[in-house]
Amino acid sequence: MSESDQELARDLGFLEAYTIGLGTMIGAGIFVLPSIAAEQAGPASMVSFFAGGMVSLLAALSLSELATGMPKAGGSYYYVNRALGSFFGSIVGWGMWAGLTFASAFYMIGFGQYLFGIGGLGKFIGFLPEGSQIAISAAALVMAAILTGLNYYGVKETGALQNVIVLSLVGLIVAFLGLGALSGPTIEEFNPEGWPAVAATVGTVYVTFIGFEVIATSAEEIKNPSRNLPLAMIAAVVTPTLMYVGVMFVSTGTLTRDALADSDVPVATVAREIFDPLATGVSAIPFVDIGTASIGSFGALLMIVGAVLATVSSANASILSAARVNFAMGRDRILINWLNEVHDRFRTPYRAITATGVITLVLIAVNVGVGTLAEVASFMYLITYALVHVAVIVLRRADPDTYDPAFRIPDLLYPIVPIAGLVACLAILLQMRLIVQAIGGVIVVFGVAWYLLYARERAPSKSLVGEAIAPEPTAIADGEGRYRVVVPVANPETERDLLRLAAASAHAHEDENAEVIAVNVIEVPQQTSLSQDLEFEEERVDRQQELLATARDIAAELDIGLRTRAIVGRETGSVVLDVIEEENADHVLLGWQGRRSRRDHVLGSTIDPVIGRASCDATLVKLGPEDGRGEGDVMVLAGEGPHAPVAARRAGEFVSASDTDSSLTLFNVQEPGDGDEDEQSPEERGEELIATLAERAGIEDASYEARVEVAEDIEESVLDAAAEYDTICVGATRSGPVSQAVFGSLPETVGERTDRTVVMARGPEESAMSVREAIARRLAT
Amino acid sequence: MNDLLDRIVLPVAGPDDAAATARALSDRDFGSILALNVIEKAGGAPDKASVEQREAVAEEAFAELEARLGPGADIETQVRYGTDVAETIFDAADDFDATAIVITPRGGSRWVRLLTGDVALSLVTDTDRPVVVLPDVDSADPTGDDGPTDSGGEDE
Repeated sequence: MSESDQELARDLGFLEAYTIGLGTMIGAGIFVLPSIAAEQAGPASMVSFFAGGMVSLLAALSLSELATGMPKAGGSYYYVNRALGSFFGSIVGWGMWAGLTFASAFYMIGFGQYLFGIGGLGKFIGFLPEGSQIAISAAALVMAAILTGLNYYGVKETGALQNVIVLSLVGLIVAFLGLGALSGPTIEEFNPEGWPAVAATVGTVYVTFIGFEVIATSAEEIKNPSRNLPLAMIAAVVTPTLMYVGVMFVSTGTLTRDALADSDVPVATVAREIFDPLATGVSAIPFVDIGTASIGSFGALLMIVGAVLATVSSANASILSAARVNFAMGRDRILINWLNEVHDRFRTPYRAITATGVITLVLIAVNVGVGTLAEVASFMYLITYALVHVAVIVLRRADPDTYDPAFRIPDLLYPIVPIAGLVACLAILLQMRLIVQAIGGVIVVFGVAWYLLYARERAPSKSLVGEAIAPEPTAIADGEGRYRVVVPVANPETERDLLRLAAASAHAHEDENAEVIAVNVIEVPQQTSLSQDLEFEEERVDRQQELLATARDIAAELDIGLRTRAIVGRETGSVVLDVIEEENADHVLLGWQGRRSRRDHVLGSTIDPVIGRASCDATLVKLGPEDGRGEGDVMVLAGEGPHAPVAARRAGEFVSASDTDSSLTLFNVQEPGDGDEDEQSPEERGEELIATLAERAGIEDASYEARVEVAEDIEESVLDAAAEYDTICVGATRSGPVSQAVFGSLPETVGERTDRTVVMARGPEESAMSVREAIARRLAT
Repeated sequence: MNDLLDRIVLPVAGPDDAAATARALSDRDFGSILALNVIEKAGGAPDKASVEQREAVAEEAFAELEARLGPGADIETQVRYGTDVAETIFDAADDFDATAIVITPRGGSRWVRLLTGDVALSLVTDTDRPVVVLPDVDSADPTGDDGPTDSGGEDE
């Protein structure tokens, strides 16, 4: 995709992002919740709404950072899965999905209440039922089915319509607040149930705040996200919070608590009360005869229309968001992708939408109570946001290369925001009703079971928790940004050549204050304590000292900066990895005897882990006949492998450091072409490849010779050619430390089957640390 | 070669659509192809599916088309974003300097078209260049599991 196309995808400015957030935030909850909130905590429930807003504000800050750092579909689920791995990913994925379906069901029942509840539309239109539970459920079911259908068929909604709905809702609520305030609400007893009830009510009303997440899931479509995204989020939280507090103030000040609690249509009932006095004013004008009741009814009807718009648009957004969570889970292979197929004609994720719709219908039919629906949705989202806060901290500490958020929580507020957010979420979760905790717990357990039975195998956990716990390498390194080459030495016969090759690499980075670090490890078996064994092993210690002393002599001779490290440890491999990490090394160079190891290992018990997991450049050298060890005629296998440029760079370093006459050849083998006329000839193809490679490796044109051969059997051709040179450099053909080969089969075959010096090289490995490994390292320091 | 099919824009909605289009095109002479997938944006309202998901579908569609038309075909692929699909296709045709836009409509009841927007109709009625409508060949393609049974089921 070209740059300009990418720009086209970003079509949301601040206002659009804000209305999207507001569209799901505003309304639905506030039209339904006042009666439940008033029943639970009286007028003081406005404090609950305010507290919910604050908790959301914290989540909005953390989400803004994550969303701009990883603008991917799936929102919170994606961030948590990326940072904390697929275990928490499964919990949050299913949690959000369940939360959204519970919320949809809640909105739809609210919709039904405003149509057919006591004081609902049925009151004004004679033939419609009023106060019928069955009619409420039926209306909810029908509307949920219609919404599912509209989204299944991809019926087009326009931004303009969305804006009209949001604006009219804002207008209605502002009018409600304005007239309400004028009518002089009086609050009798502010906090009749005490503060614990107020705290418990936060959990109930939190459902009104789950909508702003939508902005995060649209991060990829927002223009100038570093500014617009956090601003839209914060605005989309603050606006409704203030409105909700105001609505609660007016509602509890206008109606008695009992009257409010009994109403199915709280906002409409309050509106009737507010509008009635207006009617008296109007009636005072001569010749204008409007019944008191009709003005009050007009106010109530307006609010009913608003409630209908609000509940429908919120439920619609929830269903679509749920389908996006499914998509993101499928992408990470936590969920079967079958569910995420996009309909060929309607271009909608129709299966995911249907699944969400069906569960929503079931939840409406089961009739667990509108309050419980709201609370379970809140519960699931509070868990999600708690983990989102953790994800921010983990990502900041692990700091993977790909994480570069355009918006960062300001230094002044970090880590206060994520920690306070986490604590607040947990505190609300803990004081929610037992039944809600039980239902939420079942959903969490389902997520865990799903992870164990399905996701664990398919979506290998790539959590960054390990990286976050592990000691920061920069804290140990001296911070000079030195180029460091680590060389494990064990054999006095090969020591010299390995150090010389390492020095060649160091010399190439002289301007970075390069140094070589020689490491020797005395291995002590598991059963014995490290110190105890050493007493009996004076001989080994002596040998180690001797080996490292020689290394220093060689270094002086070669004129390189060298440090030595003598270490006693359990396993040479992990000790070397630790040294690499501690020293913040850029390159590790090991020797290999040229024989494959016994069953358990590919190339050797030390080589496998070091080459497989070292986070820096890694080079393995099999030394051939003397005088040809990294000098003389050096040949690079210029293949298309990802690490071929690294191999070429190594070869270049060796040649320029060598003081004897050396030559550098880039060698490429091509299969014979199929004789197509317009196609490049194999020779041309090979030469082009070599030229690109030399450029990527930073080798100047004049300093190498290009050689292309055409052969059917690439391996044989490589082996034949190898015999003509002194040193052969070959890049790893595979990445990731999982399969049977460490470098790939071709490099390893060359290493085994030629008697020349063979240098296998690869670039930095991107492999995340396991939690256990990280904790072990942390404890070790 | 037929001049009309010298430079064609081929809108493909998804893999099945791409397969049908490729079938329809297979026994004809044609020149350069711009395979185009338009990702419809709601322009402020929530989209039905995330952009990322639909980009994946576009890739599948292109792959399907390329596989069916074979390596010899001169195909360029492009994803565009727009609130009006037909309009976006016309823009692409302008930029590509296309001789024709080629479509292969695949049924669908009037109700569905009314609700979901009939892109084919807008293409034909608002166009400023030739629009070639190729019939969906109900081929005996053994791999074709996307025949009329599938689309027939979705029409309801």
